[in-house]
Amino acid sequence: MKRLTAYVLLTVLFLSGCGAQMSPDEAQESIQVIAMDTAMLITTYGERSPAAAYACEDVIRDLEAKLSRTVEDSEVSRLNAAGGGAVEIGWDAYSLLERAAAYSSSTGGAFDITVAPVVSAWGFTEDSFRVPSQAELDRLLPLVDSSQVSVTPSLDSNGDGPKATVTLGPGQAIDLGGLAKGYAADKIVVVLREHDVPRANINLGGNVLAYGGRPDGTPWRVAIQDPARVGEQDAFAGVLALTDSFAVTSGGYQRYFEQDGKTYHHIIDPATGYPADSGLTSVTVVAALGEGDGSGFPGTMCDAYSTALFIMGEERALAFWRDEMMWGEEGCPFDLVLVTEDGRVVVTEGLADRFTLEESSGYTLEVVSP
Amino acid sequence: MRPSPKLHPTAWDALVVLCVAALAIALALFQWRGGTSQGLTAVVSVDGTEIDRVSLEDAAGEKTYQAGAYTLTVEYAAGSTRVRTSNCPTQDCVHTGVVSRGGQSIVCLPARIVIRLEGGAPDPDAVDAVLG
Repeated sequence: MKRLTAYVLLTVLFLSGCGAQMSPDEAQESIQVIAMDTAMLITTYGERSPAAAYACEDVIRDLEAKLSRTVEDSEVSRLNAAGGGAVEIGWDAYSLLERAAAYSSSTGGAFDITVAPVVSAWGFTEDSFRVPSQAELDRLLPLVDSSQVSVTPSLDSNGDGPKATVTLGPGQAIDLGGLAKGYAADKIVVVLREHDVPRANINLGGNVLAYGGRPDGTPWRVAIQDPARVGEQDAFAGVLALTDSFAVTSGGYQRYFEQDGKTYHHIIDPATGYPADSGLTSVTVVAALGEGDGSGFPGTMCDAYSTALFIMGEERALAFWRDEMMWGEEGCPFDLVLVTEDGRVVVTEGLADRFTLEESSGYTLEVVSP
Repeated sequence: MRPSPKLHPTAWDALVVLCVAALAIALALFQWRGGTSQGLTAVVSVDGTEIDRVSLEDAAGEKTYQAGAYTLTVEYAAGSTRVRTSNCPTQDCVHTGVVSRGGQSIVCLPARIVIRLEGGAPDPDAVDAVLG
């Protein structure tokens, strides 16, 4: 009897103790960061979650200081102000210029960082929106040419000094905004691994890094905004179930202005100088995390390709996806969710069992194969 | 060595056992069924620094927040909040409308103000992040 009583007491005390003690994996830190012209939310888990979250913020602040076109003394600003003169840049800017050249080539110019002067002409850089004249666009479009960007790696590439020297063509300017958040996400993965973070949910203004899974073991639930219902809360086209993945969405609804009854959005087609009019209202690119050494740049790739494929339109985007899945040299397989103007959500096969259409959206779902 | 006297449990012993058991079970239930969940709270931050925290369990009224050249009037109600007015150029914060679930946010980029809801009843079907 006494032994039984002791067991009962021990059991109930153990159970009550279990409720009181939080697993180290459940410790959580959540911080808001406003940077790179957007609001970011960094949520990390694990015993070192506070240090990890603030280290992630350091990565973002550091990259913004180096790469932002609107930070006066950033490397990119110095390059844009150099009037074609040579400017020394560090590792991050060098990495991104190399990636940008590769993506410009693979997308046939749909992604091009030298579209910056045209984007500025529309007022999207300084939020002073206007519709430029065709004559002005005709004068600016010859400046959109990545082949005029010359990058010479430094001979002293092992030291802490500059990693490359860059010159732009006459009148050119670059904007790394189409890559920087994705690149930050790639670097954040390294930080999370260094801090032994078991799971994290990093939202860099719509660029999402779903690291690990939820505390309950299920995948993170990452919704895709319905481009047709932007003003509404919880108005989604669908929800992705993601673990250890990057996901980036580009859509014309994210930034736009209206003039004379017409809407002009911020994704400028480098070929025409006008906002892309491709029949797509949003493009989401999803890729798995890299191997952990920061190589491969899958987050950067998702960021660049979401913009480029939005410009390309459905047919070219799916052809590009098929080609890249078969022959891609980047080593980062990816999948797509395309939302079309005519009411369809097109999902590539790799996401078919991870995507749930939001019934209330009214869209029809199509799954495409390689 | 003298042997211990043989003890016989009494009614008082049984009462103590029952009390301890009841206390432990109550404690366990409290912690499993809501002891660790917090009420819905609106956390207001400017440029990442928390400046206000409002419980929405029985909130009612308005507060004004100023950051730079911008002023936001935020309406708090039981279980929800919204930005009623703002003099920011984009008005995205006003257009966001009412938020009412943990994890939802209202962002005013020009003012660098974020109002984020924390706590509330856990919902396994809630989304963790929104793309776009």
